[in-house]
Amino acid sequence: MSSTRTIRTDYLARVEGEGGMLVRMRGDEVVDVQLRIYEPPRFFEAFLRGRQFTEAPDITARICGICPVAYQMSSSLAMESLAGVEVDGQLRALRRLLYCGEWIESHTLHVFMLHAPDFLGVPSAVELAKVDPALVETALRLKKIGNEVMRVVGGREVHPINVRVGGWYRTPSRADLERLVPDLEWAREASQQAVRVVAGLDFPELEQDYEFVALDAGGEYPIDRGARFVSSRGLDFPISEFYDHVVEEHVERSNALHARLRERGAYLVGPIARYALHRELLSPNALASAGEVGLEPVVRNPFRSIIVRAVEIVHACDEALRLIAEYEEPPAPSIEVVPRAGWGHGASEAPRGALYHRYRLDDDGTILDAKIVPPTSQNLKMIEEDLDAFVRGHTALDEEELRLRCEQSIRNYDPCISCATHFLTLDVEQE
Amino acid sequence: MTTCVVGVGNALRGDDAAGLEVARLLDGTLPDGVHVVECEGEPVSLLSAWEGCDTAFVVDATASGREPGTVRRLSAGDGPLPPELQRASTHLLGIAEAVELARALGRLPERTIVYGIEGGCFDTGAPLSEEVRAATLEVAAAIRRELSERG
Repeated sequence: MSSTRTIRTDYLARVEGEGGMLVRMRGDEVVDVQLRIYEPPRFFEAFLRGRQFTEAPDITARICGICPVAYQMSSSLAMESLAGVEVDGQLRALRRLLYCGEWIESHTLHVFMLHAPDFLGVPSAVELAKVDPALVETALRLKKIGNEVMRVVGGREVHPINVRVGGWYRTPSRADLERLVPDLEWAREASQQAVRVVAGLDFPELEQDYEFVALDAGGEYPIDRGARFVSSRGLDFPISEFYDHVVEEHVERSNALHARLRERGAYLVGPIARYALHRELLSPNALASAGEVGLEPVVRNPFRSIIVRAVEIVHACDEALRLIAEYEEPPAPSIEVVPRAGWGHGASEAPRGALYHRYRLDDDGTILDAKIVPPTSQNLKMIEEDLDAFVRGHTALDEEELRLRCEQSIRNYDPCISCATHFLTLDVEQE
Repeated sequence: MTTCVVGVGNALRGDDAAGLEVARLLDGTLPDGVHVVECEGEPVSLLSAWEGCDTAFVVDATASGREPGTVRRLSAGDGPLPPELQRASTHLLGIAEAVELARALGRLPERTIVYGIEGGCFDTGAPLSEEVRAATLEVAAAIRRELSERG
């Protein structure tokens, strides 16, 4: 007699809708894997229509409480590309610096507070703080330094209010930035140590044959912008051709769209994609950290993404220090951006992967249409494929262990499915 | 020692902005040594917001199924906060978890008071509902009163 096992994690929306994870098995056979997710950006797209192009950075920054800078950058870049201007020089360097602050903050939160507990066998960061307070204190200080970079450059720790289409409202002085240096130097060392710590964790077995996709920023590790998308299987196209290569599909169980590459299928964006495609562009310290712990040049075990995130914190600290060392106060805080009718495209590398924005404006700068493709909706299909592969390879695990490992598999992607959700209950059903 | 008032929420999600609204009502009106913070990000930031404070007031919207505008006053010193103030997920920790994290690390202000304002409508772009707007005035007044009673 075959038995059916159902493993379910329910999220109840803070706001509206419901989402969660469902793995249904019959005996050792995986019958179905589903992520059912509520995702806010779709509602913001409608909200943007009829607004002025200058409002997009402030509005889209509210989509995510953890990566507002990514939304501000991708939307600003889209408006600037349509207007035919480029924010460059020190104005652009400040954007990259702000973005480094967000990477430090966001990656630290995920590595230490959300993902590490899975590996260390504790249910949450709260329990981790009881067994290893020093580790959590280190994380809090690292995160605070990321926040401080955002405050000094962006004017505020979250939802930086200093960002505008065309640049900034005001630019910091050299002295403002130099005050960040001692903390960033400490952060670099702390993150190098973090790489050692997370590389020593036990990783569940799973090897996936991913198609990795990341921005190409022309000779530098992609963070704040990129003109082209590249993939590990040879795709290489300008960001304006995003929808020629990517299809977004409505999936009945979810109000998030699932993205796939046309005629190719699921793909992966995020730290392990950037690392696979652009490893040689990491800072020497970040590369040395990866080398010291023997991190493979292409990471195909998604659980090992935690190491890559830690390596990217090292890189973000180095990059921030470099940008500060080279900083000269720009003559004006912004450049003029004159709107015109047409389509504008912008993309940057949010901590959890490429974030693509497309806007259609009329000639007075009113937004007629907005498309926002967050990294998580690009990864959803891949998360399901990981879950499917993981469960198939681990059917002997007991239900509780399997459920925990499934949650951990989802967390490998640091998915932004829950800016609007409470995690409430969990049911495991066996028939 | 100092006191802080932290309003938590999302400015573009209807009644979720209740905590931010209370922070705005109080900003610039409180005695010296009381700083007001708006927290639109994730709640682990609370730990740095109240660093060095012996008293913290935290105001957030709740979605517990009560009547919109219902105000609850909870003392974090009495024990863990109720489930509707938990938001822990794959992506962030909630206020309740931030409080527990702080407690575990000895970083919880001696007196941490959480005001929850029940929201009704959390739609993108919606204004604060009338009941919640009234509740924000009530909570702002209550915090002012608590501050003056303690001197």
